[in-house]
Amino acid sequence: MAYFLELLINGALTGLMYSLAALGFVLIYKSAGVPNLAQGAVVMTAAYVVWIMVSSGVPLWIAIPAGMAVMFAFGLVVERLLLRRMVGQPVIMVVMLTLGLEILLRGLVPGLLGSTPRSLDLGIGFAPVILGDVFINRTYLVGGTIALLLVGASLLFFRTRIGTKLRAVSDDHVSSWAVGISVERAIGISWGLAGVTAVVAGVLWGSAQGVDWTLSMLLFPAVAVVILGGIDSIPGVLVGGILVGVLGSVIPGYLDSYVGGGTRDVVTSLIILLTIMVRPYGIFGREDIERI
Amino acid sequence: MNRIRKTALSAVLAAGASFGLAAPMQAEEIKFGLLQDFTAVYTFVTGEYNQGQRDYLTLINEEGGVEGHTFTAIVRDTGNQPQRGIEAYNRAKEEGAILFDFLSTPVSAAILDQANADQRVVITPAHGRGDASDGTVFPYIFPAMATYWAQAANLIDHIKQHDGGLDGKKIAIVHIDSPFGREPLPILDELAGQEGFEYRAFPYASPGNEQSAAWSEVRRYRPDHVLIWGAGGGQAVSVRTAIQNGIAPEQIYSVIWLAETDAANVGPQMTGVKRFEASASGTDHPIIQRIQEKVIEPGKGAGDAANVGTSYYNLGVATMAISVEAARLALEDGGPLTGETLKAGFERVADYDAEGLMPAVTFSEQDHQGGGAGRVSQWDGSAWVPVSDWHAAFPEIVRAEIEESAAHYGSGN
Repeated sequence: MAYFLELLINGALTGLMYSLAALGFVLIYKSAGVPNLAQGAVVMTAAYVVWIMVSSGVPLWIAIPAGMAVMFAFGLVVERLLLRRMVGQPVIMVVMLTLGLEILLRGLVPGLLGSTPRSLDLGIGFAPVILGDVFINRTYLVGGTIALLLVGASLLFFRTRIGTKLRAVSDDHVSSWAVGISVERAIGISWGLAGVTAVVAGVLWGSAQGVDWTLSMLLFPAVAVVILGGIDSIPGVLVGGILVGVLGSVIPGYLDSYVGGGTRDVVTSLIILLTIMVRPYGIFGREDIERI
Repeated sequence: MNRIRKTALSAVLAAGASFGLAAPMQAEEIKFGLLQDFTAVYTFVTGEYNQGQRDYLTLINEEGGVEGHTFTAIVRDTGNQPQRGIEAYNRAKEEGAILFDFLSTPVSAAILDQANADQRVVITPAHGRGDASDGTVFPYIFPAMATYWAQAANLIDHIKQHDGGLDGKKIAIVHIDSPFGREPLPILDELAGQEGFEYRAFPYASPGNEQSAAWSEVRRYRPDHVLIWGAGGGQAVSVRTAIQNGIAPEQIYSVIWLAETDAANVGPQMTGVKRFEASASGTDHPIIQRIQEKVIEPGKGAGDAANVGTSYYNLGVATMAISVEAARLALEDGGPLTGETLKAGFERVADYDAEGLMPAVTFSEQDHQGGGAGRVSQWDGSAWVPVSDWHAAFPEIVRAEIEESAAHYGSGN
């Protein structure tokens, strides 16, 4: 039982950390209607940005907010220089553009800043939180808690004036234009916010595993999270993250050493496939009904 | 910023450039194709490793070359993609390269048959097929250093000789879920039966950024010792998660892919962790000191000077030291240096240890591994300190695995 509980709790916390990477994905989709396949590489880039500041002697408590500012600006630039040119183009071309951005960042950033794993120490410490025979990973505990707070903050943000505009844009671009909302600006802000959430994800995952190109592979679990939770749902990110994390921990925990491994990726793939087949809009996603 | 600029320059050069290490191109230059993965899976090692290779060739050129012949490194990025590797191989072959190092198992595997047919030497140190050590089946492929089978045998031997013996002990191997991660398992099967220990494998999903489920299970297995078999950032995660699960650093033994960058990542808790090494680290070696003096200080180095002496840098130096020694022996016979004569040169290398940088290697027509020797070193908080002597462990078991696997390959199975 203790083993099951340990897998369950650590899996849930890991899943919450996946939610951090997935949150940027949802923020962009909610306003621009574009699935951003570059989000994994954006998380990696954000971690490198903070690492380069820390390794240059900037204290971590300054480097993180400064990194957020840099990545917010990065998001604005991506929207202005790349996405805005794609207005009126088929969505598939926009998706391909984000895929191209992912490949570019994954090659360019480690190429310029160093490809060996870099240390990003948050001072969290190694000692697990021990409850009986259950060891809870302290890094994941901190990361999961921060993910909860960030998702909560995102929910509150969408109740602010700017957030309301973003919601309007996500509902209907043309109507938003008609009532004087700058759709371009709203989409730019959503890219900027995705950059900010990428800093949090990049720093937490970077502290757990080091900063290198493999951070970009967080895209895969993040995609599973948003498909399961609903690609346009912030609460869905939370629930989807926990489910992906728990299933990806408990099932491999019981099966891997008997079947020779590999079940976690199978579980993640099955989550994506089954959700699309059974409930294409996810648990909390909005089901759009169109007159044809 | 200077470091960033230098790294950037290095990356740009590595990504597409083919450049000579000797200033003017000379008729008798010897070309080596270092066509490696600078941008995908092997990025954790390629930068330092390739830098060590290029700096060693520059050193040889600065010292007058080998009988007047200078060396040129053709450096290109394959991105760990066989298709790009094949294209880069064909281009470099056209340019006259006679030796290749891809530092990528998928790329090496894709080119293996073609290189044998083209009579071009391919070295596969610490990657590629272990059974390529059988030179009768793979005449132009040289693993040139201890294969993963030899590494597993060496680590188990260290436990037997220095860490309390093997009889009745429980050993966990926590490995990345890939052919590389599973490679030591047949050797462990053999050794467990022979030496009377029990072992169990705990795989984790690639790339290894999250391993908590595997280590929860390892903790309940209560192993006496743990082998970790991964690469890149996943190795630091393994050490960190092991310690979080109450496993002492001294109980942890790693495959060759654990280096200074991983120690920096893990922090002080890394102290006590052991690993296999095929070449010494640090700068206190004659070759490395000559590189410092004749290559780095005059500003002719191929990358960040801070990398000189790191584990992967020195590994790269060792691979080129063997290759240059093979070329020297081949040239002793007179005649032009070709892939065929270079192969013969390799097979004449005997008891060569690169002035103490690595264990003495001896190649033959049958043995392209060079003996499979290595040693175990331990992280002391600031450096890797050797805790055993250079030696080959359980060579008959390793050789049997090589021959059995090579025979399967040879028969097309």
